[in-house]
Amino acid sequence: MASVHDQMAAAGKVKRSKDLPQGVERLKEEHRKVVKDCRSQIEHWKKVENDYESLQDRLRTLPDKLSYDIMVPFGPLAFMPGKLVHTNELTVLLGDNWFAKCSAKQADALVEHRKKHVKNTLDDLQKVMKNFQNRADFTDDLEKLTGDTGDFVDIREEVINEEEVTKGKHRLAHKGNSKPKQEYLLELEGDKKKEGDEERTTGVLSEEELWARLDELERQEELQDERYRYTRLDSTDTNGEDTTSSSEEEKEADGGSDVQVNGHQKENGWVPPSITSQMNGTNGSHPEDEEEEDCDEEAGNGLPTIYFSHTAEFKKVRINTGKNTTLKFSERNEQKAQAKRKKKSGKSNGHSPHESYKITSPADIYRVFVDLVNGEPIPRKSILKSRSRENSVCSDTSESSTADFEERRAAFGRSWSHDDATHSDTSDGVTEEESPTGKSPRTNGRFEAFTGTVIEKDPLPCSIPHLTIAPPALPTIPERKLEEVGPEATQEPPKRMSKFKATRLHQK
Amino acid sequence: MAEAIQKKLQAELEKYQQLQKDVSKSMSARQKLEAQLTENNIVKEELALLDIQNTVYKLIGPVLVRQDLDEAKATVSKRLEYINGEIQRYETLLKEMERKSEQHREVLSSLQQEYQRAQGQAVGKV
Repeated sequence: MASVHDQMAAAGKVKRSKDLPQGVERLKEEHRKVVKDCRSQIEHWKKVENDYESLQDRLRTLPDKLSYDIMVPFGPLAFMPGKLVHTNELTVLLGDNWFAKCSAKQADALVEHRKKHVKNTLDDLQKVMKNFQNRADFTDDLEKLTGDTGDFVDIREEVINEEEVTKGKHRLAHKGNSKPKQEYLLELEGDKKKEGDEERTTGVLSEEELWARLDELERQEELQDERYRYTRLDSTDTNGEDTTSSSEEEKEADGGSDVQVNGHQKENGWVPPSITSQMNGTNGSHPEDEEEEDCDEEAGNGLPTIYFSHTAEFKKVRINTGKNTTLKFSERNEQKAQAKRKKKSGKSNGHSPHESYKITSPADIYRVFVDLVNGEPIPRKSILKSRSRENSVCSDTSESSTADFEERRAAFGRSWSHDDATHSDTSDGVTEEESPTGKSPRTNGRFEAFTGTVIEKDPLPCSIPHLTIAPPALPTIPERKLEEVGPEATQEPPKRMSKFKATRLHQK
Repeated sequence: MAEAIQKKLQAELEKYQQLQKDVSKSMSARQKLEAQLTENNIVKEELALLDIQNTVYKLIGPVLVRQDLDEAKATVSKRLEYINGEIQRYETLLKEMERKSEQHREVLSSLQQEYQRAQGQAVGKV
């Protein structure tokens, strides 16, 4: 016995590589078993339903005659001619040793009621079977993913400057979902470690991964609920299996259970906690860090990889700026950079639009078609609308009012920056435009003679739904914005004012 | 040293297995109760479909004893409550046993590690 244990301890490492396909095989076995069980049960219940159907038919025809001449079974081997009388009086077994005398029609109603129950059971079984079928398919895909046999291809982009990728700060989750996002954080980091020298693509790919993982986890949770229900229905078998499996694992090297989890992880780079807790009994208290490190030890990713290089563009993140314009993150940065440059160098407006005339994405259009106002490129609310607006708001574009603009900008700059800070503190989704939006209608009355034709949306409702849909929305945007808003708010409050406030005043 | 640990391991293992058997027994009892629960629910619903004119019988041994419809309904309800109570009891029992088996599992794993270490030492010495 000692030698066996010895060998097992020594061969622990070797076992790991073998355990993975074994684990997957075992998982598939279990799935297939469950699906088979479901099928047999479904068959059984279908038979029951058919029996009830024929019973109902009999019940409907039975009271047609007062008495029938039949061959009465007489023991197991003989029949005897006889009569069936009182054809409308039936003694029905209600269950649990209760009987009731009913007419044929009442019995029919009872049978109908029972058939309903049978149908419900059948539906449940179908659902369970489908779920497990999906699970089996998923494990197949998983296997293909690791085995390089599928169509999965790893796309990688080598990034030179790490600062660009992470922008200096790791992403934090939205308030509601901090826990799962941190998991992704850990896993992404683990993946980065795994890749070694090569670095993963920029945030675009990892975002997609996050989405995919979110979807996967959601699916897993649903399946787990089904599985949980199923195990409650059929718990002796599965529990017995679980316990035997867990006891087996205990007898084996401790790394055995780790491997199953690692196998999953290595394939996809994420841990499905629900599955591990089932497969490993109650072994699932392994910290993810351990597993990450274990992944490091094992061989690298076996997927076919495509390397491609990105053009040097900023990370594109879409933000709802609350004004029906969704500017891309890079655009805003570029605008700010341009505005800064212009302020410093005092160049005319005509320069920057030429630089940005390369339209590579729809958002570039917004960048290109900017209002040329007072030397600042202001993004238009809408390409189609702004021209007519300009014509209608001709008074604003006159020289006399620009002076007022400047005054206003200066006047608001101080108070607005403070407001902006408070806004950004209190609500996640509030963008910088929204705070001036909130202020300017109030103060505009003082300076302008006419009320604008445009009635802007109230910014607050914009932000609140933004908050509630935060979980599925792209993460980190508000936080990132906040951190960008923070340092820059103090630096150039008059700048921001001029860009967006002026647009609004324009449109009013 | 290794022998002693091995003996302890065996003893723990046996206790654990015993506990597992108890768990499975109570699990099966609970399942039976659940089946009875669903059955009695169906009976209750079907009794609701009948009217006072139908005579209800109860099978006690080989005898069909006549019952009152209302009485039958009350009896079935009481039985349902009883079954629910039993299920609760079994639930708590099961949880308790699960907890104990968890503890035993931990003990077992720690003993196993000790044993392996002892094994390793013995091999090293040899």
